[in-house]
Amino acid sequence: MDSFTPVTALIGGGMIGLASALLWIGNGRIAGISGIFGQLLPPAKTVLWRLVFLVAMIVAAFVAARLLPQIGAGGDVPAEMVGSPLWLAVAGLLVGLGTKIGSGCTSGHGVCGLARLSFRSLVAVVIFFGTAIVTVSLTGVVS
Amino acid sequence: MSVSLKPLYLINAGISGGLFGAGLYVSQMVDPLKVLRFLDFGAMASGGWDPSLAFVIVAAIGVMFVGLRIAGKRARPLLDTQFYKPESKQVDLPLVAGAVLFGIGWGMSGICPGPAITLVAFMPQNLAIFLMTMFAGSLLGSYIKPLLQQRAPLPDGTAKI
Repeated sequence: MDSFTPVTALIGGGMIGLASALLWIGNGRIAGISGIFGQLLPPAKTVLWRLVFLVAMIVAAFVAARLLPQIGAGGDVPAEMVGSPLWLAVAGLLVGLGTKIGSGCTSGHGVCGLARLSFRSLVAVVIFFGTAIVTVSLTGVVS
Repeated sequence: MSVSLKPLYLINAGISGGLFGAGLYVSQMVDPLKVLRFLDFGAMASGGWDPSLAFVIVAAIGVMFVGLRIAGKRARPLLDTQFYKPESKQVDLPLVAGAVLFGIGWGMSGICPGPAITLVAFMPQNLAIFLMTMFAGSLLGSYIKPLLQQRAPLPDGTAKI
């Protein structure tokens, strides 16, 4: 896998943008993944469409990987998880907690919020990209 | 929402979710290492930095921006009675604290919520641990968030997000 993949990045990003646009124009909902799964938990009201959305995400990625193994992440996706089980447990907790408290993640604030020209989302994006970059630098998880 | 529209409502949610998951696969954002190589700004000098994620987010924002213009000033979406627009415009304590915590977790793992869900299709080792604590964190956050809002109420006395 080449390290820089501008073409598939643009195509995949365009698909994510189109997904967000369809959900907004059709259902009037923000395609923020943390919000979509976070509101599956009690006291949830509208569970069904959220489940359909999330299951479709998984199924479509599975199908895409088998139909198009030569593009994207590859048929048997490397998808290497970084870190020990304890490390990942802490990371998962912080991701769930932070996106709930901060009302959004890379999709809700990053894609939908910035496209809506939301100042609030811009602040969130700058902060979470900033702390993520600092974390990678301090922990050296990549190297 | 009228009952007759409900199947279309769910179908649209499914198409949207499918495009989202496939987009995460095509863009390789399901690969935590790929994401971490973008976040690794320290590798810029050595040439090991991977700017792909910036291209993903710019393309996604661009298409969504057009989508928002197409929706325009319509009173309601095609399949529901209202747009569920985020109401808060405040930069408040929960927003900042949440973004800090999320950024640390994302930087530790290279996994944000979209890829975390999509990775179920590929079941890498230890994904179940991450998913379980992510859900637990979200549940915990729903209790902590109101406490943070009480400490820093909005100027109009409400505390809604």
